[in-house]
Amino acid sequence: MKWISQDIDMFLKEKQYVDTAVLPLLPVSFGDDIKQSVAMTEFISLLSVQLERQFRGRLIMLPGYAYLKPASEESLISGLGQWESELKAQGFKHIFLLTSDSMWKTFEDRVEGGLIWLPSLPLENMDENYRNSILDDQVKQLLNLFVQKWQNGE
Amino acid sequence: MSKNRVTRRQFLNYTLTGVGGFMAAGMLMPMVRFAVDPVLQAAGESDFIPTKQKVAEITEKPTRVDYTYEQQDAWYTSEVTGTAWVYKDDKGEIVALSPVCKHLGCVVDWNTDKSNPDHFYCPCHGGLYTKDGTNVPGTPPVASLDVFPYKEKDGFLYLGKAEPRKEA
Repeated sequence: MKWISQDIDMFLKEKQYVDTAVLPLLPVSFGDDIKQSVAMTEFISLLSVQLERQFRGRLIMLPGYAYLKPASEESLISGLGQWESELKAQGFKHIFLLTSDSMWKTFEDRVEGGLIWLPSLPLENMDENYRNSILDDQVKQLLNLFVQKWQNGE
Repeated sequence: MSKNRVTRRQFLNYTLTGVGGFMAAGMLMPMVRFAVDPVLQAAGESDFIPTKQKVAEITEKPTRVDYTYEQQDAWYTSEVTGTAWVYKDDKGEIVALSPVCKHLGCVVDWNTDKSNPDHFYCPCHGGLYTKDGTNVPGTPPVASLDVFPYKEKDGFLYLGKAEPRKEA
């Protein structure tokens, strides 16, 4: 389910079936790495759309945690911690963090949710069909990850 | 002077009728055109979306068929990819099923659950459907999978808009 009113109506009705929250982590920077941060954000946004389509009945795709790249790592982690504790308090059994930013990978043990790190792909130079098939492939690999997590959790 | 001289009165009558006729036609033609326009429109052609699947290559095993179409949200047009599960049933007729689970809208997959082979399986909440799309009782879905109307054209499969299956 997406973070739109139509889907949230469904969420409120079928709450007992929705036990997974996915939070895309989207870096924003205006420094030298502006291009890179845009590519990461773009890739993760596109990926999250596809992922949501596959699993719309069980997960809620949150509207991304956008953060400034130059901000201190401590404040980012504590900011994310607030998200996680709120989501947990709301009864989500599985929390997934979706990102291309390798910074998070180094703090994997300090976040509670399952961190999924995917290197971003240079989607800008691809034509649409090729791009879609690559994204499809990536999502297919993610599917297994999700299904496994769900099966272990039951 | 000839006998059939046109009088001034006749001349004016003819001209007035002629000019008046043109004016009336000028007003009426757009109205008539407007009224019959829906009839002249090419009907129904765009409702069926072409796929890359050749009809002759459809087997008895459900296969994934992707198709793309343009979706218009107000002024914004985007290309959307859709999927269908297509196979031939016992009678050799083509069946095209929508992959959207009738429970909460996840995407179902064919034959992925090891304990239930030859079923459509929804990974979200374990919904099961038999090959013809009927939901298995005891699993979350409460209706069978939607069915695409289909057409064959130049050997390729064309899909319409998925509809709920009529209960037999």
